[in-house]
Amino acid sequence: MTAQTTPDTARRGPTTREPARGERWIRRTPLLPGLLFVIAMTQIPFLFTVYYSFQDSNLLRPDSGSFAGIANYGRVLGDPLFRNAVANTVVLTAGAVLLSLALGLALAVLLDRSFPGRGVVRTLLITPFLVMPVAAALLWKTSVYHPVYGLLNWALSPFGIEADWVNDFPLLSVVMVLTWQWTPFMMLIMLAGLQSQSPEVLEAARVDGARPLAVFRRITFPHLRRFVELALLLGTIYIVQTFDAVYMITQGGPGQASTNLPYFIYLQAFRAFDVGEAAAAGVIVVAATLVVAMFALRVVSSLFEEES
Amino acid sequence: MASVGFEKATHFYPGTEAPAVDELSLEVEDGEFLVLVGPSGCGKSTSLRMLAGLEEVDSGTIRIGGEDVTDSSPLERDIAMVFQSYALYPHMSVAQNMGFALEMAKVARPERERRVLEAARLLDLEPLLHRRPKALSGGQRQRVAMGRAIVREPRVFLMDEPLSNLDAQLRVSTRTQIAALQKRLGVTTVYVTHDQVEAMTMGDRVAVLKDGVLQQCDSPVRLYEHPANAFVAGFIGSPAMNLREFPLSREGVRVGDAALPLTPGQRRRLADEGASSALLGFRPEAVDLVGEGEGFAMEVGLVEHLGADCYLYGGLPGHPADGDLVVRVAPHAAPAAGGTVRLGVRPGRVHVFSPGTGERLDG
Ligand SMILES: Nc1ncnc2c1ncn2[C@@H]1O[C@H](COP(=O)(O)OP(=O)(O)OP(=O)(O)O)[C@@H](O)[C@H]1O
Ligand SMILES: [Mg+2]
Repeated sequence: MTAQTTPDTARRGPTTREPARGERWIRRTPLLPGLLFVIAMTQIPFLFTVYYSFQDSNLLRPDSGSFAGIANYGRVLGDPLFRNAVANTVVLTAGAVLLSLALGLALAVLLDRSFPGRGVVRTLLITPFLVMPVAAALLWKTSVYHPVYGLLNWALSPFGIEADWVNDFPLLSVVMVLTWQWTPFMMLIMLAGLQSQSPEVLEAARVDGARPLAVFRRITFPHLRRFVELALLLGTIYIVQTFDAVYMITQGGPGQASTNLPYFIYLQAFRAFDVGEAAAAGVIVVAATLVVAMFALRVVSSLFEEES
Repeated sequence: MASVGFEKATHFYPGTEAPAVDELSLEVEDGEFLVLVGPSGCGKSTSLRMLAGLEEVDSGTIRIGGEDVTDSSPLERDIAMVFQSYALYPHMSVAQNMGFALEMAKVARPERERRVLEAARLLDLEPLLHRRPKALSGGQRQRVAMGRAIVREPRVFLMDEPLSNLDAQLRVSTRTQIAALQKRLGVTTVYVTHDQVEAMTMGDRVAVLKDGVLQQCDSPVRLYEHPANAFVAGFIGSPAMNLREFPLSREGVRVGDAALPLTPGQRRRLADEGASSALLGFRPEAVDLVGEGEGFAMEVGLVEHLGADCYLYGGLPGHPADGDLVVRVAPHAAPAAGGTVRLGVRPGRVHVFSPGTGERLDG
């Protein structure tokens, strides 16, 4: 044993001493329970989902449960309702992420300067993020969007605008709630970015004759790049999974006008009881999210790279 | 190129009672190299930032080229600043860093590139023009920061401790380069440092600040030979001037077992203050070893050989608690530690200050 390992250690050089095998396990054991717990809670359900996605499994047909190959995937991908849900998800996610990012950036820029009561304002601005999504959705549905008692119609009535928001603009309604909820998150990331800037660099730019807008565009924005990327990525991953707002406000309707992917999967599993197809759709969504997130990040990165 | 003038310029930071800069009045001539020097926290950076327009002037005026710029923004002042941290734009190449101000001033691209290249040649930066600041050494970054200022051909250069992040050797060579460059370009320069050697070697004139108050603004030689008060006397020079209170006697000051004469004017002013002692200062090199019966005695505690010079550290016999005196002697004449020597201060090289106010007493 020793004879075999000697040349190995010699090659590694004097500074990095690899611990012996037994020692390594002693070091790892304390981490093991956590690791096992995470695997049990996340990977086992996912593996079950993958398993069901290849089964012809429908709760209404107790005799079902045979291996179905990729038939579920074929049916899901061929389903026009699924494609409709994909389109809705894209609109919903892109709309909410971009809007909340823009608003968050604007608020962060305002919060970045000192004024009396800044701490209070910051706390108040963060609160929407602390409200439970279901509660927020319910609140918006009943007190903002309601065609008769809603605040939105009341506020817009002087301009002659009145609408049954949830019925006439279902996607927009959901996007607005999500934007309201996610703006604080974006704001915090942008604020962290702004405050990590060297004040001397900003002063140097001012002395170099840059006007405030030029300072923002040429100095601050390139610095914020990484923070924008992070915000886009995290925001997208979270908002793709939106279920509460759709369920509470529009129920995916009218018709399928605001059904997004999570709601589609919910309908498949708990309204149509087609577990197989729902599982297949779930697997597709997970895979697609991963691919899209990675791809989007690349594109965004390269765009910024050219910019600077 | 322009002159610079401070007129009773005062700045308070919010939430502080004492002003960071208190009624600073200074005139810098066109093309002059003025150094602001003083201990940490004395308001050097604040003065410079007021001149740059980065800090508000609470009262008083600031002029550049004779025109009142007290309330104008940095971009209207046509000044270039070198920051202590260099403050290079991290996402821009060296060339972009240097050309940024010209770009902001809407200088056409060919002209911009020509001027950047010219400055890069001057500073040996040509091979680095496409690098990012991250990929540069400290000294190279310093030169880029200088280049960024030079390219603009501004009316005034402002530099806030631009050498403090360099190692000792590089600091000395860069020091002479900056001074030479300034002479060549002839741009009025205000330079901040806490290093009195830098101040003495670089400045046409040096302004010494303490607690936000200007102590003295003079040529380096005058500052050294004719300090306006005890603070300047102690701050300028290395090793520092020997500064000590000695009791007054009938005809002068008692130093150990000897008496140093005072002029009638000095005696009168000390008497007016009701002082029983005088604050005497003499530089380590203003002292000669003298024979028995002359001068005053010093017990030598430590002998420091530096090759060309030799410093003796010691105290008056019987007053060990008074702190050390420092004396420079020729190496071959150096006594051994533990002995006693007799010292005579050269006539005219004794500075007399008021023990109460520290002010210089002449006449
Ligand atoms: N932003 C600030 N808020 C409050 N007080 C400040 C601020 N900046 C500086 N001061 C105070 O103002 C005084 C002058 O500061 P300044 O930065 O001008 O000193 P300095 O001479 O440049 O010192 P150093 O050599 O350490 O850089 C100091 O007492 C400092 O504590
Ligand atoms: Mg400073």
